[in-house]
Amino acid sequence: MRRWIWLSVVAAFAIAYPLLLSSPFQQRLGALVVLYAIAASAWNIVGGYAGQVSVGHVVFFGCGAYAAMGAYAKFGLSPLFGIPGGIVLAVGLAAIVGVPTLRLSGHYFSMATIAVAETMRLIVTNTEWLGAAVGLSGPTVPRNIFDLSFLSALPYYYLFLAILAITLAITWWMTNSRMGFYLRAIKDSERAARSLGAPASRTKLYAYMLSAALTSVAGALYAMMFGFVDPESGLGILISVKILIMAALGGAGLLFGPLVGAAILVPLEEISNSWLGGKGAGLTFVVYGAIIVLIARFQPGGLLSLLMRRGKPKTDTSKTDTSKTDTEASHAP
Amino acid sequence: MLLEARGITKAFGSFKAVDDASVTLEQGDILGLIGPNGAGKSTFFNCLTGDLKTTSGRVLFEGADITDVAPEQRAGLGLARTFQVPQTFEGMTVLENVMIGAFLRTPHRKEAETRARAVLERVGMIRLADAPARSLGTPGRKRLEIARALATEPKVLLLDEAMAGLNAHEVRLAIDLVRDIHRSGITLVIVEHIMEVIMSLASRVMVFHQGKEIARGSPREVTSNPAVIAAYLGTRAAKAAAGHTPVELMGGPDL
Repeated sequence: MRRWIWLSVVAAFAIAYPLLLSSPFQQRLGALVVLYAIAASAWNIVGGYAGQVSVGHVVFFGCGAYAAMGAYAKFGLSPLFGIPGGIVLAVGLAAIVGVPTLRLSGHYFSMATIAVAETMRLIVTNTEWLGAAVGLSGPTVPRNIFDLSFLSALPYYYLFLAILAITLAITWWMTNSRMGFYLRAIKDSERAARSLGAPASRTKLYAYMLSAALTSVAGALYAMMFGFVDPESGLGILISVKILIMAALGGAGLLFGPLVGAAILVPLEEISNSWLGGKGAGLTFVVYGAIIVLIARFQPGGLLSLLMRRGKPKTDTSKTDTSKTDTEASHAP
Repeated sequence: MLLEARGITKAFGSFKAVDDASVTLEQGDILGLIGPNGAGKSTFFNCLTGDLKTTSGRVLFEGADITDVAPEQRAGLGLARTFQVPQTFEGMTVLENVMIGAFLRTPHRKEAETRARAVLERVGMIRLADAPARSLGTPGRKRLEIARALATEPKVLLLDEAMAGLNAHEVRLAIDLVRDIHRSGITLVIVEHIMEVIMSLASRVMVFHQGKEIARGSPREVTSNPAVIAAYLGTRAAKAAAGHTPVELMGGPDL
């Protein structure tokens, strides 16, 4: 019950936010928070629930961003039409990359994903058709509503919010399905999960593909809002790192964890950038580094799990005895 | 024939952990695998479950060759196992742990939950259903392993030292549970160190020593077999012990 109250309060705030805080900076900030929340939630499916820490997720982000801009720049279509193409690209790539790499555990998987992302960035940087280092641009002047090119951040904010709601709904549905249960089991002990009939490789691959599809949508939305994509903004490894840290800070493997992380880190970055100007851009990453250290040292479950633990009464730690009495009771003559 | 292993050999480099072991399992059997530490019984066990690939030899289940079948597919066929060191899903509740097993036979969450609750009821852990699995101690974890495996509705259940680390009282409760499982029509393979368990449960016993099968037969037969006593206690001790019953020497059944 309390959960639903919290949920409605957060949802109401999210809907009212750009009307309450209506300066262009605040609206743009809001749109960015929601956008990164989408990306981090998508990452959460494979990084949080499946425990496969992908550091190369930007490659799927790039699929979406390039597909959206490519639809306009190459075919004169609305960037909107690039979204399905981006999803297909991302899912296909996830299947190709996932089959060999998802067998790798822990850091090895992370490193393989970095390698894939960096390779892709270099390929795109050297491909004239994709604009090479300059990148691709979207429509400068909107031809019609479907170009989704707005001066104000307000329409983007609500568009992103709708997509975030869909992303969270998909994640929620997944966690309550057999697939979600299997993912959590595989994360804890792949060997045991398999012994109980969970097809580990297939389940992880599906999660990876689902995550890739949603990440590509985030990439497409990002490119639409900024009106262009280049190898750095669409395929730079730092975007992956940002997404990962947001999910980990908020709480990886929790539905609303990535949301909390994005709501903290995006404003932090934007505000520090606007205060310190170009010189301060690096400072954000110093902060990110510090956050990585703090998460690793103190709160592997993320901030949200800390809150949830405080909200609940302390769990009884003397369960061993209970188990004994329980088994005794059931076997008493 | 429910489960059959033909000439299983498992080599790690040049070391043969299991050397040409064969076994047949009929419906309703309780087969005990015993032997000193490092005898190869766990390796053999893992070849049956598919956790290890055999170097040579074949495994058959209900007449079909399953040598190259993955563990998750073996589970689907009706082969379930527990782990010597409990592989509890720490991030889940007790009920959710068992639901993972139940999901094998139903894709629906509600149905899986109903079945998992029935299994927890059966093994006497229903009151712990909503407790986090990480709060369980060794006896609870061992029992949870069995509950999870039962939820997959197996034909054969393989228990890998399901009673190691339990005290005498808990061992007796666990024996009762295994008997109850057997009565429900499930065929069992048990790897066990505790002789009391083997003596009171197994219908047939296979003894491993240095990767080879050195004896098989009823529990009484194998424990009075000189080769078995020598394997456990060494040849000199075996001679010295000639006047005692082997069961006493191996720590049973007065446990």
